[in-house]
Amino acid sequence: MNPTQATPRFRMASIRIVRPLHIAAAAALAISGAAHAHHPISAKFDDTRPIELEGVVSAVDWRNPHVHVFLNVADSDGQVVNWAIELESPVVLERSGWRRDTVRPGDRVKVDGIRARNETRQVWADALVYADSGREVLAARDLPPKAPRTARPTPRWPDGTPMLGAPDTQGGYWSYPTRTALVEDGVRVEMNKDGLLANLEDAAKVAPMQPWALGLYMHRQRRFLQDDPLYLNCKPPGGVRHMQSSLGVQLVEDRERQRIFVLMGSGNQNYRIIYLDGREQKGQVGGDDDNPLYYGRSIGHWEGDTLVVDTADFNEDFWFTNGGLPHTEQLRLIERFSRPDFDTLLYEVEIQDPGAYTRPWKSSWELRWVGGQELASYFCQDNRS
Amino acid sequence: MVLQLIKERLHGAMPKAAGTAIAALALAAGVSAVAQEGHPIKGSWLGTWESNDVHGEFVLLVMDWDGEKISGIINPGTDNIEITRATLNPDGWVVQIEATDEDAEGGPVHYQIEGRIQNLELPDRSIVGTWKHERGSGAFEVSRQ
Repeated sequence: MNPTQATPRFRMASIRIVRPLHIAAAAALAISGAAHAHHPISAKFDDTRPIELEGVVSAVDWRNPHVHVFLNVADSDGQVVNWAIELESPVVLERSGWRRDTVRPGDRVKVDGIRARNETRQVWADALVYADSGREVLAARDLPPKAPRTARPTPRWPDGTPMLGAPDTQGGYWSYPTRTALVEDGVRVEMNKDGLLANLEDAAKVAPMQPWALGLYMHRQRRFLQDDPLYLNCKPPGGVRHMQSSLGVQLVEDRERQRIFVLMGSGNQNYRIIYLDGREQKGQVGGDDDNPLYYGRSIGHWEGDTLVVDTADFNEDFWFTNGGLPHTEQLRLIERFSRPDFDTLLYEVEIQDPGAYTRPWKSSWELRWVGGQELASYFCQDNRS
Repeated sequence: MVLQLIKERLHGAMPKAAGTAIAALALAAGVSAVAQEGHPIKGSWLGTWESNDVHGEFVLLVMDWDGEKISGIINPGTDNIEITRATLNPDGWVVQIEATDEDAEGGPVHYQIEGRIQNLELPDRSIVGTWKHERGSGAFEVSRQ
């Protein structure tokens, strides 16, 4: 690519020339959905293969699960080809202050990204840069809200029980988990936010897996997590997975009916229910007999300021964490929710699954309060249209 | 694919009742495999053990994993051959299955099946290998339903 070839005149010509290509590309995408398929970034793109591009925006496709900017780029022979630049989700970009019309067809931009593993003209980028001004645009600056200088006290119900949801009518939810894939507490391994290990040799350290589970985990890691059914088939983020999502969770406490609704920003805005009414673990709800379940059955009780939740009866049709750790129907989660201050949710979980692990093990992380907002609208099936 | 194969060959050497039962099971299971992200061996597997003149060419295995061992039945509902021993070695995903039954004359038939799981990541993964017993042997291939 030679960026100096792109004069304004050439830019107009490029748009004319490439429009049929763009239409063809759009048709191909509509048919296959391949470019819009949801996936862990590392499954589709190779971060060891950087690429720089400069070109003219031909179209912006602002929809879940990822925004695409189509770019006309002149190659070394002067021929213009169309590249698909894949960016973060509309939810993340909008939280970062960008809008669907921030970048428009005709804008000239630079891209510093990584190439698709399958050699197609697709690039993952964290941002674009306007070619003329050098100003960054569509950058995912999705940072958690600033913590107040002095920690605000935990909001409480009149009886003193900590509130896990919004203490006022302005709403709010929990997001920005400090850990996005399960690793046993105390273990230090390097992995990306999708749970892809930097060194596959670390696999056995992640959790006390049985040999078959370790083999399957490594197989999934070797394939860059591309078989994840959450992405491939929009399977629900059961297990602990919704607690690892940047799309957040909302905890709605129905104290009259003694239950807590866990509303999810991910997983097509699914929900799970934590029952606090003393019911037994199994067979407790009419119409809830499609055993086993993606979210299992959850019963909870308070131990001091900590909500302890016992969840069992999971099916095996999904991945229960980012990163591909396996589980079986014997999975049981003991979750502990506490709110040490207004803006912090401490989530601790014990994983009990004698079908896949050699002993129970624990992992924990924190989530941050995002006040005054509702969960963003996000549907995995948007990429299935 | 397997179902079509069964339909095409149902008029062959297979006992009618057994063939009908297997076809019904296959239909009940549906054409595409149910997702199964847990232990790779768990589920129903349908396919062929070629040249098996004791139990016919078609075979159905239903296997489970309890956290310690693999258990299962071969041709449930028709032959009901209990799997006496089964292992899965994640190093190469090698499956070994042993089962014992009797032939029509009451003689013992000790099955030994060995194969590898192919396409481990897919719901309709396969086990491809060989089978043998006292009086025969052949290719073995089943796909998860």
